[in-house]
Amino acid sequence: MTKKGVKISLEKGLQNQIRDFFKKGLEKGVFDAVILPVRVPGKDSYAWILMNNAKLIDQANPVPPVMPVQGAKALKALTRKGNGIINVATIMRSCEIRAAIELSKLNQVNLEKITLVSYDCPGAVPMKGYNRIPEEMEKSFQNALAGKDFANDKMKEVCGICVDFANSPADLHFGFAGMENDGILFSNSDKGTAILDTLKMKCSEDDSQWKNSVNIIKEQKSKNRIEVYKSIQPEVEGLDNLQTTFAKCIGCHNCQSVCPICYCRQCYFDSSASKQTADYLQDKAKNRGGIGFPRDKIMFQVGRMAHMSLSCVSCGQCMDACPVDIPVAKIFSYVAAKTQDTFEYHAGTTADGAVPLKVYKQDELNKIHELIKNAEPQGSQHE
Amino acid sequence: MEKEFIPRITSFVCKWCTYTGADLAGTSRLQYPTSIILLKVLCSSRIDPVFLIKSYLKGADGVLIGGCHPGDCHYETGNYHTRRRFKILTEIFSTLGLPKERLRLSWISASEGPKFAQVSNEFTDKIENLGPNNARENMFL
Ligand code: SF4
Ligand code: SF4
Ligand code: FES
Repeated sequence: MTKKGVKISLEKGLQNQIRDFFKKGLEKGVFDAVILPVRVPGKDSYAWILMNNAKLIDQANPVPPVMPVQGAKALKALTRKGNGIINVATIMRSCEIRAAIELSKLNQVNLEKITLVSYDCPGAVPMKGYNRIPEEMEKSFQNALAGKDFANDKMKEVCGICVDFANSPADLHFGFAGMENDGILFSNSDKGTAILDTLKMKCSEDDSQWKNSVNIIKEQKSKNRIEVYKSIQPEVEGLDNLQTTFAKCIGCHNCQSVCPICYCRQCYFDSSASKQTADYLQDKAKNRGGIGFPRDKIMFQVGRMAHMSLSCVSCGQCMDACPVDIPVAKIFSYVAAKTQDTFEYHAGTTADGAVPLKVYKQDELNKIHELIKNAEPQGSQHE
Repeated sequence: MEKEFIPRITSFVCKWCTYTGADLAGTSRLQYPTSIILLKVLCSSRIDPVFLIKSYLKGADGVLIGGCHPGDCHYETGNYHTRRRFKILTEIFSTLGLPKERLRLSWISASEGPKFAQVSNEFTDKIENLGPNNARENMFL
């Protein structure tokens, strides 16, 4: 189905177009404030800033090269104690939008008064690389953005396999992949359409050219994805390999604390309930011939998979934050693809519906107890 | 002489059905193996998948969940959620090449003493065939 969108000139660059859009929105009162990334004074990172004056918008970089804090986390912080009275708009990468959608389904973010805007994401530069040589990375990113390069190898590895780079249920989306000098701004929701109406932005541009280009890029990324999953499989197959991959884990739990989806305010694995007494540990050590510290590295990861892989958006934050370079995000993305497929779910890509663990069907998984044949005695009263 | 392998099967069972079923098996003097170590929970939906992962990694040879039949949960819908969570966990186990055969879910009602004994026997046999869980010996986990 083709959609119509607003034609956007990219002559002044995408960043400026987006700034103009937000300034106009503030001016016309369609939203009262915006949250945008602003480069920190040290120039080696970005921070989310909630602002309501147009001058500050000029200092913001709506499309930053890095993702130091997953945007969904900023929205979570904003609405943690419920909504305010003001309407807030923000622009984020697809994985940030999708994480926000997941969190709203889990009642951790309230999107009622938030307008989500998104764009065709060329990827994000890993924080570790950016930190060292920010100016250089800044340049490569801006080149990739201006050159509409969606396969840049400076980006995070998971960006190379992201099939949703241009697909999220954001209210509004700036598309430009494969287009010459123009871009297209279109709406995905009633909220988005109402905003375009108020701003008197006319939807006259056909999105088919854009869509075709997106599909071509997507196809390539799907292929990469299969390759990456294939390469990660032997690293995590079987307890021995899994153990080898995580043997160098230092137990910092960075991967969990930066993950937008790991929302529990007290993680079981950080709680005292998960800790053991010296007597118990000595006993274990005696039985096993020795035990390693930090404890429970595999339990932590497999446990996390069981808790949140259904909502993992493959944003790569966990891998970016791992000090010992364990490919956490590739592993989670690989496992999440499997668990999400089980329930034909694709985290964050639709605004409605519930996360699979919140709902059930009476008539499903009826054979799950039959791991052993004939375990059901004949004539059992439950037929 | 090699020590005989007596499996240890950590069994999380709900108070309202499976635990009562196990009790019935006992009072009816049905035989079931000593490998079954019962842990009573209020509802099968109380069983965080982490309990099962933990049991496996700490060396349990088998892990059993017992709950009321679908539709019969004392809290009405608990076991429907258990079922989905269990499905996810087995999916994770197979993706990671972990022995999902060591996990089992069974619906056993309060009146199904014989079924409890049968499931216990069959699962124990199966685990005996699989042999001991080698996670028990791993120092680095
Ligand atoms: S597990 Fe990693 S890739 Fe998945 S949502 Fe969390 S931080 Fe992002
Ligand atoms: S970030 Fe890396 S080292 Fe830290 S807990 Fe996660 S996997 Fe282990
Ligand atoms: S009470 Fe038995 S499964 Fe819920």
